Amino acid sequence: MDFHAWFLICGFAVFLLSSLFHLFTIIRRANTDDLTAAKGSIPVGIAYSMTLAMSPLKKETAYLHLPTYTAGILYHLGSFLALAWLIPLFFEIPIPSLIHIISSGWLFISGVCGVGILIKRFFNSKLRMLSTPDDYFSNFLVTGFLIISAVTLLNQEFLPILFIYSGILFLYMPVGKLRHIIYFFIARFYLGLFYGKRGVWPPPKRQRS
Amino acid sequence: MSQTLTKNQEKALKRFADSMDGRVRAHLNSCVHCGLCAESCHYYLATGDERYMPANKVDQLARIFKRYHTVAGRLIPKWIGAHDLNDESIQEMVDIIFGGCTMCGRCSMHCSIGVDIPFLVRTARSMLVELGLVSPGLQSTVDAAIQKGNNMGIPREELVDTLQWLDEDLKMEVNDKNASIPLDAKGKRILYTLNPREPKFFPLSISAMAKIYYAAKESYTISTTCYDVTNYAYYSGDDEAAAELTERLFKEVEKLKAEILVLAECGHGSRAIRWEGPHWIKKRYPYQVITVIELIADYIKTGRIKLDPAKNQAPITLHDPCNLVRSGGVLEEQRFVLKRACTNFIEMTPNRLDNYCCGGGGGQLSMGEYRDRRVAAGKIKADQIRETGAKIVATPCHNCIDQIMELNKEYELGIEIKTVAEIVADALVLDT
Repeated sequence: MDFHAWFLICGFAVFLLSSLFHLFTIIRRANTDDLTAAKGSIPVGIAYSMTLAMSPLKKETAYLHLPTYTAGILYHLGSFLALAWLIPLFFEIPIPSLIHIISSGWLFISGVCGVGILIKRFFNSKLRMLSTPDDYFSNFLVTGFLIISAVTLLNQEFLPILFIYSGILFLYMPVGKLRHIIYFFIARFYLGLFYGKRGVWPPPKRQRS
Repeated sequence: MSQTLTKNQEKALKRFADSMDGRVRAHLNSCVHCGLCAESCHYYLATGDERYMPANKVDQLARIFKRYHTVAGRLIPKWIGAHDLNDESIQEMVDIIFGGCTMCGRCSMHCSIGVDIPFLVRTARSMLVELGLVSPGLQSTVDAAIQKGNNMGIPREELVDTLQWLDEDLKMEVNDKNASIPLDAKGKRILYTLNPREPKFFPLSISAMAKIYYAAKESYTISTTCYDVTNYAYYSGDDEAAAELTERLFKEVEKLKAEILVLAECGHGSRAIRWEGPHWIKKRYPYQVITVIELIADYIKTGRIKLDPAKNQAPITLHDPCNLVRSGGVLEEQRFVLKRACTNFIEMTPNRLDNYCCGGGGGQLSMGEYRDRRVAAGKIKADQIRETGAKIVATPCHNCIDQIMELNKEYELGIEIKTVAEIVADALVLDT
């Protein structure tokens, strides 16, 4: 196996082990035992937290900021698509060229969204105040991953570069804010648990007057 | 780590480490600094000050977490925004965590990730407890509750005098010499709590509830030794004091052998007792705990009380207390009650889970040093109220009442502020 393939495997292994460590740390002290009498349903609350609570109709952060929200969704969907593409590319699974082209187009759009989000972070005073070097770098790293993936899907000569770059991405993921790839789902689980038990999520049906 | 920590700082970090369960860890690792939460916070909306962005509140704790609990934070702290716990970071934390947040939870509902921001703010406040940096006003409220049995330090004799006077008043109002406000009676169905502000400043809200109990022919009592529905240790972050106050009420319910503990109109008290209390005292309640709003709604649904809405014709709007609604799941009951107790009910916009905090939560009313900030942040609520055109604002929370009364003066709203029970009592149709 080539060096770039080994590098990708090593990077992914570090990411996987680190993710398992993070998950283990959470589960070890999960503390989901609740001594209160429920007003609502925990499973329903968690399901709502993972689905409808994130709808742009419900979330102010979405409907007040539709361009940013849309860019963010495209950026994240693109990131997952690019990660998924590593599997057929690594194992040399044949995929029709039309899917390569469509995926590449999608990834370019996602990459452009990533650039837009990065520019916003540079120029928006609120974001500058919050941002650390890690915030800029993480955004840059993922945007680069999207662009390189898009190019590689059209021209496989870039495969070694993509694998090396992906390895670096995997190695960096546990270090900074990119680890929200793991924690996002756990945070939403806990939020759903909290609001579900208390009968806050899903909101009770409005009574007729 | 080369930094030298004081003993209190070490204690604070230990407290933080001890509290670090899966939930704390998950929320601390999740914020991506998208900044979209800013517009969900009434402090930010009213002042435009970026320090009040909810993400910055999360950062007050997250930067300490990163510094002391992550490898990257130890090796490359500046890169990931990790900070030492030092005088500078503590000073900023006090100002933002105590002075710039009511823990209303509106930001969490809308957070693009789902970070439980008020939960992290309270975790940060718990650290500040160890540093002895709780705002003096808030701390004195907790101290009064611990030392004197209620947060206003009302002597038992004064309470009994007030309740006996209200008892006489009730007899006259309903023209029934058998009507009464039973005190310290054992074996009643309900033990009813009070907010100490009621006997001290708002006895009419006790009268209102006594009249409702009379109309419902309820079996209830009020304790004259342990009746305080508030628990300001929830706001200060002091788990030991919070547990002590919860335990006292727990023992009182057991002593008086009540079946149901009914929580008076108090947002944070309802939340603290019903939802946080069992965790503080580490045991389940063997009795039912409900808010008085749920009880009144049940009285109406089951026909135990009858209302004539025509007795309340002035336009009434409702302010949803954050702790009751966003953290307590009591969303529709107050609407159900008010729509049957008045002829002209007007919703605020937004309302329910999206309602803005009035600015009186988080212990802000007891922290005099942040008074101007609190009133400025309340402008969002004042504007909401004005837009309804209502003459009366009903709200089932005495902190909200106090804050809205202040907003009423400051922003010249020309409104009257009432508890839900007061409006219901005015609409009661008594059997003749």
